[in-house]
Amino acid sequence: MSSTSFDNTFQDPRRRAPLVLGGHTLASLTDRVCEVVERPRPPRAWYIAFAISSTLVAVLVSLIAYLIGVGIGVWGVNQPVGWGFAIINFVFWVGIGHAGTLISAILFLLRHRWRTCINRSAEAMTIFAIICAGMFPAIHVGRVWFEYWLAPYPNQMFVWPNFRSPLMWDAFAVGTYFTVSLLFWYLGMIPDLATLRDRAKTRLRFWVYGILAVGWRGSNRHWHRYERGYLLLAALATPLVLSVHSVVSFDFAVSILPGWHSTIFPPYFVAGAIFSGAAMVVTLLVPARELFGLKDFITPRHLENLNKLTLTTGSMVAYAYIIELFMAWYSGSVYEKFAAANRALGPYGWLYCLMILCNLVAPQFFWFKTCRTRALIMWIISVLVNVGMWLERFVIVVVSLSRDFLPSSWGFYKPTWVDLGILAGSFGLFLTLFLLFCRYLPIVAMAEVKNDLPRENH
Amino acid sequence: MGMDSQDRLTFDARTARGGQVLAILGVAAIAFAIVFAFAGEGGPRRFFFSYLVNYAFFLSLALGALLFILIEHATRAAWSVVLRRLAEATAATMPLLAVLLLPILLFGMKALYPWTHAEALSDPLIAGKRAYLNKSFFFARCVVYFAIWIRMARFFHGRSVEQDASGDVELTRRMERLSPVCLWLFALTTTFASFDLLMSLDPRWYSTIFGVYYFAGCFLGFLALLVLLAAFTQAAGGARAAITVEHYHDVGKLLFAFVIFWAYIAFSQYMLIWYANLPEESEWIARRQAGAWKWVGVALIFGHFLIPLFALASRWPKRRKWLLAVGAAWMLLFHWVDLYWQAVPEASPGGPTLAVADVALFIGMGALFVGNIIGRLRRAALIPVKDPRLGESLAFENM
Repeated sequence: MSSTSFDNTFQDPRRRAPLVLGGHTLASLTDRVCEVVERPRPPRAWYIAFAISSTLVAVLVSLIAYLIGVGIGVWGVNQPVGWGFAIINFVFWVGIGHAGTLISAILFLLRHRWRTCINRSAEAMTIFAIICAGMFPAIHVGRVWFEYWLAPYPNQMFVWPNFRSPLMWDAFAVGTYFTVSLLFWYLGMIPDLATLRDRAKTRLRFWVYGILAVGWRGSNRHWHRYERGYLLLAALATPLVLSVHSVVSFDFAVSILPGWHSTIFPPYFVAGAIFSGAAMVVTLLVPARELFGLKDFITPRHLENLNKLTLTTGSMVAYAYIIELFMAWYSGSVYEKFAAANRALGPYGWLYCLMILCNLVAPQFFWFKTCRTRALIMWIISVLVNVGMWLERFVIVVVSLSRDFLPSSWGFYKPTWVDLGILAGSFGLFLTLFLLFCRYLPIVAMAEVKNDLPRENH
Repeated sequence: MGMDSQDRLTFDARTARGGQVLAILGVAAIAFAIVFAFAGEGGPRRFFFSYLVNYAFFLSLALGALLFILIEHATRAAWSVVLRRLAEATAATMPLLAVLLLPILLFGMKALYPWTHAEALSDPLIAGKRAYLNKSFFFARCVVYFAIWIRMARFFHGRSVEQDASGDVELTRRMERLSPVCLWLFALTTTFASFDLLMSLDPRWYSTIFGVYYFAGCFLGFLALLVLLAAFTQAAGGARAAITVEHYHDVGKLLFAFVIFWAYIAFSQYMLIWYANLPEESEWIARRQAGAWKWVGVALIFGHFLIPLFALASRWPKRRKWLLAVGAAWMLLFHWVDLYWQAVPEASPGGPTLAVADVALFIGMGALFVGNIIGRLRRAALIPVKDPRLGESLAFENM
């Protein structure tokens, strides 16, 4: 049945490439996607990955307990670098989330039909990435039991959060983003959850998927409301793709620190976020489609398009690097010039060079079709891009803070083992959630993909 | 749905003659502006600011058209095929715009750009930029920009018209293959052109987002122009069946999206400068908030963002051609005000003044520009008649 050897990455303006391969019918598509959830046991590789990732989660939980018990002194942060790994990881993970919303909302509004096969998993990735991201500012405040102070509620002491602080805006921006992304993801999943409910063989599955499917019957009215709601949520989520990482960039750009204060930061951060997010989708989907037998739905064309998206947003990031360097010189400010030179030649210069290699050089391979369509090559590049984008946040956060205007207040930041452990743990949490998603929820948006099946297969 | 054989796909002689009349009118209006300006009002300095605002305005429309073509090819878009010839003709005005730049290069540099003055070099900030801000390098850059823009506009217009006759699919493939590289060239040239023409009016000031800001205006301005061009074409009897309400609706959606995008970029620039409040950056904003200038800024917030945001949100106005055309004209007006707000405070810091030359040059350059577009459109079909995706575009419907 499977004919994945068929190449659907051809460029023929006279016809659109098929987005589902293998001659699937409506029934065989449902069977194939539901099988991932319904088979008695997941593949062995799933168990191995889950064992590793859940171990990392255990590491994460214990290190957070240690951190809360002892205080954030167990991290490497101190004067002058008060924002270390926690903020780097926060920005990194929020960024990862962006590709999901771009694919699910913006590509939906732009009528890019190839999104349907990958949007479910990309959105899931978004949700999990925001969970990982949100954790970091929360534990960074030190006294986590005062977290509720972030909420602006009327109180007898008339104490309000500082609304002029971009950190406060972050709380609202990320909170809104998480809520809308979750609703969007869930709303899109309802018809598929109903399918799983209808196919359930055990009472437990029937009840759990039944409750999640909120009484979906597939009636004409249900579909009508569903499609209206989906369109409206897509329109609401679209500005969020831009706003969230813009607000994150404000954390830096409203300051006067050279290397942080730059007006291009908002769109540049958004482009960087989608860049890393698209790469992460490739990193996850290349093994996932292999593991769960989804090559007919997540086809070479989908991956190629994702790689083009990586190249496009990577080019925007490159543009921002060029403009920043030019403007550092053009500004005539000694501090701007120093900050630019210090990135490449200062004590963290090797990290900057590595970043350039990963973010600017690596994606250039995607100009070539061979690299865009070969699984192993694209997987390696996508991992490099993620490494590069993490390093970029390191360069922005640490390099600028460690050497500001006054040489007498300079310092050097080194992460501790707790920093490294929590970073690894956050990857564990992300992967654990993603593995659970693959096992218990429909990875491919069946109802949507069915619209893209060739008519004769209906 | 196939192509309607009754649909007329060329301009008639009357429209073509109208284009020639516009060209004559354009030259006359520019001559009037010159005489009027030098005879009295404001002198040459204010005249060249009027010239620059209008020049940057029409240049932005042609650049927006070029960008539209490049994006449509890069994304393999089908919906817009029936509109692409209009964009190609607009981008093909690049040679005219190159000629229109000459007065600035030959006579206007001193009036416009303080960094050309010998005494400006006593300011260390300006002196430090001499390697970039000097006349010969400025001229050389302009040559490079226009060499690239004219080449790109020619290539995409030329191959598209060539396909009208041959129907060769390979031409589409070639344009699609080249579009990503051209997007890179476009991004860099447009950015640096905006630094040169507009940002360096205040040579001390800098903003890394400025290129993106100009680009947002380019694309928004062209989308508005596209609505007007399509409506005009159809009013003149061309492509009446090919361009449908669905296409207007889609351009309207993009227009709406870029109204928000422009506001996002403008807000990012303003807010970050305001918040950090560094003197070398905020003086630019301060000048635009002094005296009556602040009301121009307020007008931009409402006219360029809030009013169109609400007016274009629903599908109702986007599916009414003439209503959408009114909205498009409104956006063009405020795009002009935006450029005026960027440039003119450098010449009259006391407050906004509307010179006769502002209006006369708008009419003059506008007449030349539109006349040139009509001239380009006359020489080929009004839509790419053998584009392989034309069928998809003709049959296109919003859900």
